[in-house]
Order: sequence, then C-alpha cells, then structure tokens
Amino acid sequence: MEPILQVENLTKQYPDFKLDHVSFSIPKGAIMGLIGENGAGKSTTINAILDLIKKDEGVVKFWGQELSSDPRNIKENIGVVFDGVNFYETLTPAKIGRISAAAYKQWDETAYDNYLKKLQLPPRKEIKTFSRGMKMKLSIAVALSHKPKLLILDEATGGLDPVMRDDMLDLFLDFVQDENHSILMSSHISTDLEKVADYITFIHKGKTLFCKEKDELRYQYGIIRCKTDQFEAIDQSEILAYRKRDYQWDVLVADKEKARRKYKTAAVDNASIDDILLLYVKGDQVK
Amino acid sequence: MKSLILKDLYNIGHNAKSMIFILLILAFALIPSSGVEGYIIMSGILCSMMIITTFSFDDQSKWLKYAMVMPVTRKDIVISKFIVLLIFSAIGAVIGLVIGAIGGTIAHQGIFSSINDMLTLLFTGAASLMISEIAGSMSIPLLFKFGAEKARILMLVSCLIPAAIFFGIYKLFILMGVSFTDQTIFILLCCSPFLALVWNFFMYKISYALFEGKELL
Repeated sequence: MEPILQVENLTKQYPDFKLDHVSFSIPKGAIMGLIGENGAGKSTTINAILDLIKKDEGVVKFWGQELSSDPRNIKENIGVVFDGVNFYETLTPAKIGRISAAAYKQWDETAYDNYLKKLQLPPRKEIKTFSRGMKMKLSIAVALSHKPKLLILDEATGGLDPVMRDDMLDLFLDFVQDENHSILMSSHISTDLEKVADYITFIHKGKTLFCKEKDELRYQYGIIRCKTDQFEAIDQSEILAYRKRDYQWDVLVADKEKARRKYKTAAVDNASIDDILLLYVKGDQVK
Repeated sequence: MKSLILKDLYNIGHNAKSMIFILLILAFALIPSSGVEGYIIMSGILCSMMIITTFSFDDQSKWLKYAMVMPVTRKDIVISKFIVLLIFSAIGAVIGLVIGAIGGTIAHQGIFSSINDMLTLLFTGAASLMISEIAGSMSIPLLFKFGAEKARILMLVSCLIPAAIFFGIYKLFILMGVSFTDQTIFILLCCSPFLALVWNFFMYKISYALFEGKELL
C-alpha cells in the first residue's frame, strides 16, 4: 500500500548542524511519532518536508507526489499545527475562520463552528486573551476544518497541561479512525506518543536512529540493570546502548525476553520510550 | 490569494481608528500651512506605509511560515502584498481627498471655487495614489529581505530612493532643455499609472527573487 508520506534520505546542512539522510514513511491510518532531544532535528525535518527550507538532498512524497509538483492540491490535504498560533493576536476565531475559508476549497464552516463549540473557544474574542492551551486548540480546529488527510503536528502538545493534552490526543485518535488519515507528530513528550503513536521515528543529532512500530519498542525492548561484572558478561552484539550510573549499569537490549533467559542474575525491566531516548542520548551507543 | 489579502485587512483594521485620528490631526496641522494638495499626498503616503505594519504583524505571528503550508504559493504571497499596498494607497488617497476637501472648505482655501480647482484636487488625489504606490512598493522587497525590524530605516529609504531617482530624471530633463509647463506636468501625471505599473512590476520581480529562496523557520 502506498504510504501517505514518504521521506527518503532527507538531508540539510547548516554550519553547525546537519540533518543527515533522514528516512521514514507513514502508512495510511497510522500515527507516526517523531521523537528526539531538543535540537535533534525534528523541526528541521518537518520544515524540510513542508518545503519551508530547501533540502540539500532527499525526496519527500505525499501520496506518491512531490509537493512541488502540485502544491495547491497537495496542501489542501495537509493540516499543519506548529508550536503556537500563527495568526496575529488581534484576530478572532471567527475572522480566522473567514481567512481560512478563503484559502481552502475544502473548508467546512460547520465543522469549524462545531470544533469551536466542542473546544469551548469563543468565536468573537481576540486571541490575545486566550491561554496557550486555547491557542493550540484553535490551531488544531483550523487544521482539522479543511478536511485534511494528513496532520503534521510540530510540538503541538508542548506546554499544555495533562488534561488538555489528553483532550488533544483524543481528537487525534478520532482523526485516524478514518483509515485514509494519518498523523506525523513531533514531540519531546514521549508519554503522549506512547498513548497514541503506531510508529516511532527516533532522530538523534540529525540522524534517524530507528523507525519502528511502537509495540515492538514497548513489548520487545528492555533494560538490563546490572553490576559491572554482569555488564562485562553481556554479549556486546546484543547491546544497543548503555549508561553507567552510580551503582549500576543500564543496558538497552532489543529482546528483553531473550535477555531475561540469558542473564538470569540481572534485572531486566520494560523500556519506556523515555528510557530508550535517555539511554541513546545520555548513554553510550553501541549500535 | 484572497485569504492573504483578507488577513492583512483584518490585521490592519485594528489600527484603522488610530490612523483616521492621525490623519485628522495632520489635517489641522498641514492644511492651513501646506494646503490641501500637500495633505492629500501625505495621507496617501502614510496609509501606504501601513504595508510595513503588516510585515511587522506577520513577523510577530510567524505568519509567512504558516501561510506556506496553506494552499498558496510564494508568488501568491508576494503578489498579495502588492495588492494590499494598492488598497492602502487608494484608501489613503480617498481619505486624503475627503478630509482635504472638508478641511480646505473650512480653511477657506477656495478648492471648490472653479472647475479647474476641483480638477486639480482630483489630479492631486491621483498623484497621491501614484506617489504612495511607488514609495510603498520600494519598501516591499526590502521588507522581504530584511524583515519588519528595520522598518523605520526602510521607510526612509523607500521614500528617498524613488525621490532621488525622480529628482535625477527631473534634473536630466532640465539639462536636456525640457521645460516643465502645466501641460508637461499634466502629461506626466497621465503617464504616472504606467510608470507606477512598471515600477511595481520590477519591485515584484525583486521581491519574489528575494522571497523565493528564503528559509521560513
């Protein structure tokens, strides 16, 4: 099946940073989480995907087409939410609705009004009076009201309280109920991605460390907590990353059940996405 | 395109009251001393300079980055700014004409004493539109290149450069022995829309070339 979004060898060189041959693809009906530490290259990846910056190398295809081949029609089907609202603060949701209606052929006025009601956003109040959460809700309402098939969210849940984040995640899950819809969601709040993502792409220092199904990470990856002598006994080929702590070693492995069977004296815990991220970023990487 | 223009009009609509207030104050200050003509031209230029404010609002809200994910092209964004400038300049000229006519009548400047005077007023309105269009369009490529932060300096540059060019052309004509009679001025005024059109076209080309390669972070 043709992916909704296909990114191949995306490369962008800056004087002090390189996005280095990033590749991943998003199948229909899936949520792809893009994780990585601050400055890892998540936003650069999204900017390059959307042609906001010029890529040096690589191919990005939406529904099998490059954005430059038919920008208007392709962009009709993409909803984007950045970190904040990109309308000037004296505008009201009602005016933003009229501006967006003039931009999108597929704009659904009724859907927009319903989102405003559902998300409790006053249509005639200037957005400068809105809280950060309300601004994010408004951005999401706008993004969803032109009936996109792909949602791209760049740190869209950052800075929101847990209740509001949960509301947003429910909206995203509703959106992918339609099997033709997909979401690319960059976030450094890995718990959000653990809740909703189907796939995780981990970007570290501008490179793709892995692109895997979330369940594979959750159910297969594990962390061996052990002493120095036990660490030395671990087969190096099984270690993905490790970190020396005060009294123990944390060792990330791709097959926790195998590790449990093999290293019976060591404790093998489940690995959360946060654990994996921390070990890759702060630990030493073997693979 | 319509959405981009609508956005700028909504954004600037918030400043409309203060602009009218400034134009009223200027009417009191300028009409008795510089006459209605000077006021009408000043009104057009002031309103056209609101284009700088639209860039400032865009910068504050990171609008250009967002606009580029909407179904519009970079070309649309640049063209829309020129259309908005034309709208602002036209509004400025019309407001200048209306307030100028009222102010001139109150100040007993005899602007409606003859058909000729009324025509002069209308031509001043047209000249105001053309001057503010030319001055304003000069600021657009500079704004795309440098952003609204440097707006104050740009405003000066965008007025001075076309003024210097036209003064140079004027001096050249004088050197060539062309004398500026009422008739020549009338002909020049009639040619000014074409001049503004050509000028705007070049400014658009420069703006697009600058914006085409700009990275929107």
